[in-house]
Amino acid sequence: MSETLRVIGDTLPGADLNAPLLEVENLQVEFKVRGKSVPAVRGATFTLEQGRTLAVVGESGSGKSVTSQAIMGIVDDPPGRVTGGEVRLHGIDLLKQDEETRRTVRGNHIAVIFQDALSALNPLWSVGFQIGELFRVHRGSTRAEAKKRAIELLDQVGIPDAKNRVGHYPHQFSGGMRQRVMIAMALALDPEVLIADEPTTALDVTVQAQIMRLLKQIQDERHMGLILITHDLGVVADVADEVAVMYAGEVVERATIRDTFKQPAHPYTKALLRAIPRVDTVGQELEVIRGLPPNPASLPGGCPFHPRCWAAEDKCSTEVPPMIEAAPEHRSRCHFATEVYTNER
Amino acid sequence: MGRYVIRRLLQALLTLGIVLFLLHYLMALSVQVRGNPALLFFGGERTPDPAMLAQVERLYNLDNPCYERTGDPCVRPFIERLQNYAAGDFGTTLNGNRDVGELLGVYIPNTLRLFVFSTITLVVLAMVLGTWAARHHGRVIDHSVRGTTILIDSVPVFLILLAYVYIVAVPLTRWARGIWDTESFMGQVFRPNYNPDYPWTTIIVPGIILGSVGLATLTRLVRASQLENLGSDFVKTAKAKGLKQMRITVVHVVRNSMIPIVTGVGYLFAFMLSGAVLTEGVMGIPGMGRMIFGAVQRQETNLVIVGLTISAIVVVVVSLLVDLIYAALDPRIRYE
Repeated sequence: MSETLRVIGDTLPGADLNAPLLEVENLQVEFKVRGKSVPAVRGATFTLEQGRTLAVVGESGSGKSVTSQAIMGIVDDPPGRVTGGEVRLHGIDLLKQDEETRRTVRGNHIAVIFQDALSALNPLWSVGFQIGELFRVHRGSTRAEAKKRAIELLDQVGIPDAKNRVGHYPHQFSGGMRQRVMIAMALALDPEVLIADEPTTALDVTVQAQIMRLLKQIQDERHMGLILITHDLGVVADVADEVAVMYAGEVVERATIRDTFKQPAHPYTKALLRAIPRVDTVGQELEVIRGLPPNPASLPGGCPFHPRCWAAEDKCSTEVPPMIEAAPEHRSRCHFATEVYTNER
Repeated sequence: MGRYVIRRLLQALLTLGIVLFLLHYLMALSVQVRGNPALLFFGGERTPDPAMLAQVERLYNLDNPCYERTGDPCVRPFIERLQNYAAGDFGTTLNGNRDVGELLGVYIPNTLRLFVFSTITLVVLAMVLGTWAARHHGRVIDHSVRGTTILIDSVPVFLILLAYVYIVAVPLTRWARGIWDTESFMGQVFRPNYNPDYPWTTIIVPGIILGSVGLATLTRLVRASQLENLGSDFVKTAKAKGLKQMRITVVHVVRNSMIPIVTGVGYLFAFMLSGAVLTEGVMGIPGMGRMIFGAVQRQETNLVIVGLTISAIVVVVVSLLVDLIYAALDPRIRYE
């Protein structure tokens, strides 16, 4: 903890340790596609506290990965651009910082694990080099020191024979082991926030469980804030504390994981939960959400979910729904949030 | 790694052996079909004294009876020739009876100098232009770079050479000599033809012109591979690690982009050998290209075989180098 304090003081002057760890407020990201601005994230808002896990759930194209890249400050520009909102780390708005400060935040305070470790690791450098690079760049370590730290990290994430494996290249590892390497790399500088962007999507089911367990264990040990980005509600059920459901670039529901599973307050979340195969409904036809996610270039008017929604009424196609508190600490962006929550719809 | 190198070396030697034999067989066929080049010694038309002809044939290793039988692969002369080459004996020319080894001592360095300049031009220009275009992807600079390089590449190299010699070189040389001394670097560099007193200076311009052959191909290769790597996931990871842009480019982009570029340079090197014939011809450089061309015209069997053998060795060695650089760059090849 004392080291954390020192680093924050050095790199983030004015940091308030009493403020929430990470607050994202009204974040907006646009992409230029053939001269036209297309919104990818339209006002995402959520909060992450220390030691907690927030699951950001949504279909492909819902803006969840772009949100994580915007938090890191690594959106490809061009074509992407963060056009509004705030990303506050310990109360400090990162979007207002200069590139040098943001660079220091990356790796030191916020780290990210990408979905496909094979393409996220450089094929031409040994994993030891790629992990050690962080110590050499941010801590000024020598090659030998960096290698020693890399071995320790590989050992911590459960890679057998780390001393030997440190000199191996990404293609010499299995999928699960490669994802462990990615995790080791993200942990290297002891960040306060870890963003895992679909960390298990590319893996076998058995390996998925191992990786999730490892993430959970590491989070408990280090008391990190973890953002788990996924399209699979089943994966997050036993690891997440809170859920933010994203649809068409905005957060449509925010609640604790218990509440979300028990009493969803948004028709989209409800539909998502019904689409999870369950043992007790074997033999029945699995429900699907009809229609396709909307094209961000031409969103429907009003609530973007209304063309696919079973509960939609006339006002859904004309009025944009506000964020409604359906219950304490349970918000939903639906005109009928309360009715959906109490199962009247 | 060791096994990889040995395998590639053996492959290179095998390729070279096959090329040399095919070359020999083609020349043997041409002698068998078209007639004995030793006759040239007597000025073509006249019928020489059989005894003298026999002596000349012996002198130039053309006395083997296999040269009379169309289709005979002439294995014995092939082996004898290889033995002679190994001993450093490349024979003599039919025309003027000069020692081929001595001629090579003059021609090879000239062609090498030419290639030094053209390779540097090609690689440096393509790297700079390709990187520049990739950085400004989809914008005016990108389109101009691609347009210009294609324009340069679509003009045949001999046309550029002729335009240089007949239009640009003379006024440029006159202008340079008005300012600097005739004997100075600037006084010589723009000359329209080669000057043996300035073997480096007067080869720079022909080298640069020859280097423009394949510029478009290589520039596009550099551009494409840099774009691919700049947009790759591992560059995203590198950014997420908080590395500086400079370090990302040097450590994570350039090395990954080198693999297709090395392939391109190796391929274009072989391509430049044919360009050397034209460049050396137009600019009056006594080099290998001009030697081979003249040898073919004068039906100098021996000289043709020596010249093509050397060019085959160069191509095989360059592809071997390309393979070794691959292995040095990419662990996936090293540990295959």
